[in-house]
Amino acid sequence: MSYSRTAPRSDTATGTPPAPSDPALRGVAPVGPVPGRGSSAGRLRARRVRSRQWGALLWVAPAFLCYAAFVLYPLGQSIQYSFYNWDGIGIATPAGLANWQAIFTQPELLSAITHAFELIVFYTLFPVGAGLAAASLIRELKPGPLSTISRTILFIPQVLPLVAAGVAWTWLYSPNGLVNQILRATGLGGATRAWLGDFTFALPAVGVIGVWVMLGFCTVLLLSGIGKIDPALYEAAGLDGAGRLWQFRAVTLPGLRQELVVCTTFTVVAALASFDVIQVSTQGGPGYQTMVPGVEIYRLTFLDQRIGQASALAIFLTVLVLLVVWPIQRLGRTD
Amino acid sequence: MQIIRMRPGSGRRNTLSAITITAAALALTACAPGAATSSSAPASSPTAASTSVGTAPVTLNILVSTPDVPLFSALGKAFHAKYGNVTVNVTSQDFNTLVTNTPHILSGSDVPDIVRIASFGNLVTDQLLTNLDPYAAAYGWDKWPQSQFASTRVGADGKQRGAGGLYGVGPGFGLTGIYYNKALARRIGMTEPPATLAEFEQLLGKAKSAGLLPILINGEDGGTVYPLQNLQMDYAGSPQAVQTWNYDMPGADIDTSATIKAAATLQQWSKEGYFSPGVNSVDQTQAPADFASGQGVFFPSGNWQAPGLDKAGNGKFGFFLFPPLQQGGKFTAMTAADTLAVPAKAKHVAVAAAFLNFIQTDPTARNDAVLLGGIVPAGPTDAAVPPAPAGSAVSATVAAFRQLLESNGLVDFMANATASIEVNTLLPQTQLLLAGKTSPSAFAAKIQTDYESDLGT
Repeated sequence: MSYSRTAPRSDTATGTPPAPSDPALRGVAPVGPVPGRGSSAGRLRARRVRSRQWGALLWVAPAFLCYAAFVLYPLGQSIQYSFYNWDGIGIATPAGLANWQAIFTQPELLSAITHAFELIVFYTLFPVGAGLAAASLIRELKPGPLSTISRTILFIPQVLPLVAAGVAWTWLYSPNGLVNQILRATGLGGATRAWLGDFTFALPAVGVIGVWVMLGFCTVLLLSGIGKIDPALYEAAGLDGAGRLWQFRAVTLPGLRQELVVCTTFTVVAALASFDVIQVSTQGGPGYQTMVPGVEIYRLTFLDQRIGQASALAIFLTVLVLLVVWPIQRLGRTD
Repeated sequence: MQIIRMRPGSGRRNTLSAITITAAALALTACAPGAATSSSAPASSPTAASTSVGTAPVTLNILVSTPDVPLFSALGKAFHAKYGNVTVNVTSQDFNTLVTNTPHILSGSDVPDIVRIASFGNLVTDQLLTNLDPYAAAYGWDKWPQSQFASTRVGADGKQRGAGGLYGVGPGFGLTGIYYNKALARRIGMTEPPATLAEFEQLLGKAKSAGLLPILINGEDGGTVYPLQNLQMDYAGSPQAVQTWNYDMPGADIDTSATIKAAATLQQWSKEGYFSPGVNSVDQTQAPADFASGQGVFFPSGNWQAPGLDKAGNGKFGFFLFPPLQQGGKFTAMTAADTLAVPAKAKHVAVAAAFLNFIQTDPTARNDAVLLGGIVPAGPTDAAVPPAPAGSAVSATVAAFRQLLESNGLVDFMANATASIEVNTLLPQTQLLLAGKTSPSAFAAKIQTDYESDLGT
């Protein structure tokens, strides 16, 4: 029992000093409106702006310190580890760029990244699309038991741990599971297969789990967004002769811009960084058919104890996620 | 709302610059990660071994995986009955958690006296384990059949196994072979276990023609790798090549004609329909359950399934070692020791060694290993064979293990050659092979390339 704690991977073993919070803090000094550089603003105004900056900094500091200690510092450590050969315990030896080179020379990695992008179709496209439709329909329901029940049912998958969802879906997909039972009962016995063991259908089958999990999140978020839209807009559009489809295009969609960006960002990150469902349901198989970078990083860290290589891949994945999410975030800018 | 909204652009820039600065500061101030002090004297220089447990009260702390707790609690009680001053305290972790945490537990400050380990990884390189050779000499383990210790001997480089210092012993062995459903076997005219591979293949064909599932196996998590290795050893005529490979000896090469032939045979079995169509999605929970419920004539697996199968239907299931290529040929089988190691920082090393000797030699302890652990104790050749109900699957596995021990045919699993060779290579490649998506020669070549890249050669 006394051994049940998980020793932190890094802090106990490293000789690195604590996070240099001071210089990092100074790096983010201009929080809030940036003073008009090069403009001929009066000294008084400049001073007011500066004092407002320092005040804002004070408010930001507690959150930032936590963020720096638990996100930025480990992130920096990972970057550092990626240039070493290290097993997490013993002596680390500098590896130069070898870990980074390995990423681009591993043949399986490219397919793993491709799979992650294919998962975006299931984790993002379907849930956001279906979520929009569901939210629009639920909006038209009168507030009451029916609307509450449909919300609850759609949201339940979001409450379950992903591992539990993965295990349950594995049962559904098994050769004698519910999916195949339904197919047989409806006379489609010829279409039955071991879904997760099928080279063609394993990835879509895993993707459907993602649709199931993400749909509720998207629907509830979009519903709350629709609730914010001024009903007068719908009324006005209706008076102008807009049908339901046009109301959706002209009122609902623009009104949901921010929520759509949040939904898309969240689900795209979940797709690219997917790990738990795949680790539980297929372990990347059959063959390498459902392998994703998340599982690869896990194996490098905990099976191979190649912390350096795992860190390099993790940083690579982080950059990849940022590159994909960046344009989506820009779409959400209102100014 | 408008007042507190930050300009998105500036916010992102700030976060970015913060990351850059943090990283830069780290790069400037940080030295290499890892223990700075571990270059002290090697822990492998053994101290004098004492076979005495003394008289002072001692608590021996043992850390095992959760399913092992009943066995080790029983062993602890038996040890306490013999040595009253020693209290054995068993703690446990879930197997995967234990595997993940072991290096950190052993390098920490609160270290158990005995720990169950799954693989050596870098434990020897990082000097976290005690070399047991002095105790092997003191207790006479070095006079026993030595193939039982081969997999837990680690070379000076901390990587090669099979020779070098002894870093683990255990209460018994996992053993692989083939279970058969006695009723279904009778239906296809099998009166006794096949003596050769050809006979076995004939039985598979008969089962198929009789409309039965010839081989039930868990292809999702690695069951199909067992017959592959068996076939490889049969065609090679000796387990030597595989064993050299398993133990990471320099120049080991598995890309041989025997491996290609084994892959071709396994692929042929798949083409003939000897496996179920969904074989790649059957896992290690489903396979024994399906077999116990009467699906499948043969079930290649290990002795750890025997107690469960006996519970499902005592006397209904038999077990035999994978048959050799030629009549009268030597039997070989994959085995894995349930390895217990003594951490370098253990407080009661001599008592721990006494416990390890006790579980290998004491008749009560050996019975416990079979009945509670489903594993077979090795030990000296003249040790008592634990009794098991006649006709049970357990008794069949115990008998098979004695047969194997006498012919010194214990071989390690290919899956243990490197930490990730099973999940990253053997398993997906075997799945591709069964699906006809890779050729036997590409299969053999890929296994060797991945092995070499895992070892960094």
